[in-house]
Amino acid sequence: MKIDTKVIHGAYKPDGETGATVAPLVMSTSFTHESAEDIEAVFNGRAPGYVYSRISNPTIMAWERRLTELEGGMATIACASGMAAISTSILALAGAGDEIVSGNSLFGGTYSLFAHTLARYGIKTVFVESTDVSAYAKAITDKTKVIFVETIGNPKMDVPDLAAIATLAKENGIVFVVDSTVTTPIMVRPKEFGADIVVHSSSKFINGHGNALGGAIVDCGTFDWSGDRYEHLHDYHAKAGSFAFMAALRNQYFRDIGACISPFNAFLTNMSVESLAVRMERHCDNALELAGRLDSDKRVEQVRYPGLAGHPGNKVAEAQFDGMYGAVLGFRLGSKERCFQFINGLNRVQNLANLGDAKTLVIHPASTICHDLSEAERQAVGVTDDLVRMSVGIENIEDIWEDVNNGLDSLK
Amino acid sequence: MELQINGEGVEVGDAISVSELLKVQEVKMPDMVSVELNGGIIQRDTFDTTVLADGDKIEFMYFMGGGSRRSAD
Ligand SMILES: Cc1ncc(COP(=O)(O)O)c(C=O)c1O
Repeated sequence: MKIDTKVIHGAYKPDGETGATVAPLVMSTSFTHESAEDIEAVFNGRAPGYVYSRISNPTIMAWERRLTELEGGMATIACASGMAAISTSILALAGAGDEIVSGNSLFGGTYSLFAHTLARYGIKTVFVESTDVSAYAKAITDKTKVIFVETIGNPKMDVPDLAAIATLAKENGIVFVVDSTVTTPIMVRPKEFGADIVVHSSSKFINGHGNALGGAIVDCGTFDWSGDRYEHLHDYHAKAGSFAFMAALRNQYFRDIGACISPFNAFLTNMSVESLAVRMERHCDNALELAGRLDSDKRVEQVRYPGLAGHPGNKVAEAQFDGMYGAVLGFRLGSKERCFQFINGLNRVQNLANLGDAKTLVIHPASTICHDLSEAERQAVGVTDDLVRMSVGIENIEDIWEDVNNGLDSLK
Repeated sequence: MELQINGEGVEVGDAISVSELLKVQEVKMPDMVSVELNGGIIQRDTFDTTVLADGDKIEFMYFMGGGSRRSAD
């Protein structure tokens, strides 16, 4: 099956009892068992079954199975949000005294988690230039437990070379975690480039309709958990082999932290994903067209979009992303005042803190999602005062352009 | 031939694959099971091609219930 068929048919057979073609929504906190022996068998892993929906649930599992198939991975755990997926997976990999090496072009929440929150618990993050493979190599120590990147950093719009970083991670026996939120499995399956763990915020393109938060941790099944760096997972490895990380999450970290997705959100997400392939195609086509028009417009100073030939990440993006370049772009208008004039001049494009919605969205990062960053931090993530970020929707491109033009016409 | 399945001796036909074993043993939720063969977990995509031999030790395991950390020891 090709990926655009898998989003529809992947990992779900109509329900045997009812013939329902949609994975049923099971809003049940817990699940009863015939005998004390039966529930014991589920607890000790000898039998399949559900116990409590913080740990597993049929609706959530239907979504997890489908995402596993889309990523070509081994298993998935769906979480309450993208941040839940990232924090849960990191806490299962690193503890006090350990280190993360991360690309510096990160979603603000992830940056804050690494730079501030995890630091309080003794986990140190070394941030490196996202696209500079030698910088990752220099930052690795014997305490490094995770190498982390986003497939396309935003709003900087830089594109790390996944295969090159994966090689480095492999050479050092370190888990390579890739946040593929903005690319989705339609544009890239990071496993094909050597990622070990893929994390998603499904709140964005995967859901695509702005109606359900969610996140996911996908284990590609490629990492050897018997390595020296992961002694805390060795007992899971002894019992679960290549499933060690998933077993550690399901039986300990994910279970204990409790950041599970609601079955209702999993239901909505599993429904939305069926149109992901056609949506991504339209998102990316619209973004490429808009980026081109903005790039040749004299009112705009600089356009950042990996699909533009002059963009520094263009070649890597071309090799990694199946001929698509994503639906997020940044452009500079010369000053904060002009950005505000632009945003206030828009009629249809929505001014809000999100991306990956069917609707075209805009935000001024410096005064909103990045307002609590220091000047140096802003520079690292590529946020200038005169930058606007757009998440291009799936409306008709001429309607998008008409409204963007309204904004540009409002510039004084 | 005889296999050791979850610690018990089970008689099965010769030259059976892991996929066939899941069927004849009526293993529940076969797509969620992880199969350990002689101490090593085997990849799902090899279930069809992995042929079992007399005396092989098989463990079926699930990570769905979230049993206590101790049960992973
Ligand atoms: C790349 C990326 N990763 C993670 C997140 C966090 O996801 P969530 O909002 O679902 O927690 C976001 C956005 O919010 C994001 O853009």
